[in-house]
Amino acid sequence: MVRRAAILALTAIVLALLCADWIAPHSAETQFRDDAAARPSRQYPLGTDALGRDRLSRLLYGGRISMVMAPLAALLAVSLAVVAGLTAGCLGGWWERAAATLTDLCLSLPWLFLLLAVRALLPLNVGPEASILVTFALLGLLGWAGPSRIMLAAVKRHLSSDFVLAARAAGCHPLRIALVHLLPHLLPVAAAQFWVTAPAFLLSEANLGLLGLGVAEPTPSWGNLLRELENLSQVARCPWIAAPLVALFLVIGCSHLVTAAAEYES
Amino acid sequence: MNPASRFPASHPSLWRVAAGRLLCLVLTILLAAFLAAALVRLSPGFGMDERQLDARLSDRSIRAIQAEYGGAQSVLAYFWSYLAALTRGDLGQSLSLGRPVRELLWERFGVTLQSAAGGLAWAWIAAAGACLSLGMVGMAGMVRRRIFDSAAMTLSGAMLCLPAAIVGLFSFYLGAGPALAIGAILLPRVFRYIRNVTGAIARRPHVLAARARGAGGLGLLARHVWLPAAPELMALAGVSVSMALGAAIPVEALCDSPGIGQLVWKAALARDVPVLVNVTILIATVTAVANLLADAGRSAFQREA
Repeated sequence: MVRRAAILALTAIVLALLCADWIAPHSAETQFRDDAAARPSRQYPLGTDALGRDRLSRLLYGGRISMVMAPLAALLAVSLAVVAGLTAGCLGGWWERAAATLTDLCLSLPWLFLLLAVRALLPLNVGPEASILVTFALLGLLGWAGPSRIMLAAVKRHLSSDFVLAARAAGCHPLRIALVHLLPHLLPVAAAQFWVTAPAFLLSEANLGLLGLGVAEPTPSWGNLLRELENLSQVARCPWIAAPLVALFLVIGCSHLVTAAAEYES
Repeated sequence: MNPASRFPASHPSLWRVAAGRLLCLVLTILLAAFLAAALVRLSPGFGMDERQLDARLSDRSIRAIQAEYGGAQSVLAYFWSYLAALTRGDLGQSLSLGRPVRELLWERFGVTLQSAAGGLAWAWIAAAGACLSLGMVGMAGMVRRRIFDSAAMTLSGAMLCLPAAIVGLFSFYLGAGPALAIGAILLPRVFRYIRNVTGAIARRPHVLAARARGAGGLGLLARHVWLPAAPELMALAGVSVSMALGAAIPVEALCDSPGIGQLVWKAALARDVPVLVNVTILIATVTAVANLLADAGRSAFQREA
């Protein structure tokens, strides 16, 4: 019941974001200079920001970027984790130890610190499109460590199972064992990791955006829209500026409910 | 007394284990330093400084500027020269703040240590208190336990759906200092882990047997639930240090607290590479030492058990 409601809510949000071209009253970047910092009205349902841009339009277009790119980054991270887990698990020995050490190192460093440090080493004065790619590629490339540990454990569990022993006894090449026999068994674990990682990346993008190191203006994303909340005293007077936070909260909450319900059912 | 004599002969000696762990610690820190140095050396625009475009500067001055960045060294040579300088206590000069990195770290580390330790203390006390209360309520009745458990899980789940920076900002806005803000970020994570670990142990047969014999109250929880959970909680304590340092970044950056987190943020915005490399090593060292201590504590508890 709860899972169905969460899936329904997520679907509705995703549909709304995908239909932004029809739903949004204005373009995300158009500035209405005569109506800067306007209160909600029929023309601007969530008001306008300090530069006179329609908040609802920016919320919808920004959500589309966050909701498309975060799952793509999660897909990249989980794919890397599958490759790392399969390689380390199948080769064993030093490969496994090296992968475990690298994973431990990545996991021991605070995630936000790692993101900030690596983001800072890349050019900061890039265009909006490049900043979207850099931000989410970074999340995907650095987020492999957690899922990789789970993949490695899954590979090791399957390596001692009967079907792998039978394949070995039949003289199967290790690469064939990895790709044909092990990989299909890893896909459900990878799918579960994807559902856990994608919301985490949405939150990370929001944190980076709040710190000014995420997607660059004028392109909206839920992360950089949250920067308006830096002045929290304004929220009491203009609660509608918290709309991106509410949207993010709903999406993450629904994703958590979906994964929690799936875990409970399994 | 030889500490090794306390354990059976089949156990490796305590000193050997300690030496092995220390070696791992040093190797991890060196690996972190190497990765940081490699990333710096390979990053786009390494060694470029807009001062080099100033036509008024002589060749000697331009060479001196290039030398500041390590010139055209390979990754290994760059790492080696960095390590050599490190052994002399020279951590380099901050490019954006124009001050020695050692001074900056020395000034700010205390602030972050205070905030992070305070935040950890708040989070652990509140999470442990909440879990103990849940345990006590659970002994009183199943229905009441379910209501309180659902409320606590919903609240912690809701906090986990918000970006850490927003939770920190909101706590600070409500009048909490950086320590409480860090505590608010850590609380839902620590609470959920403790609740899961202690909840699983509370369902074990030995706890049911103890309750059947009439044991109850805090004594039962302490002896039969929390003590067996201690090894796992020690592991969480190690991990939570890393979590606290991570939480310090948005809190200090957004709440203007002059600690390491704010320094990292400023360095990231200014691409101040020497600061970032040294902070990476510092944070890797702190988290590795915390995990080492947590491991030692966990081993001690497991031996006791």
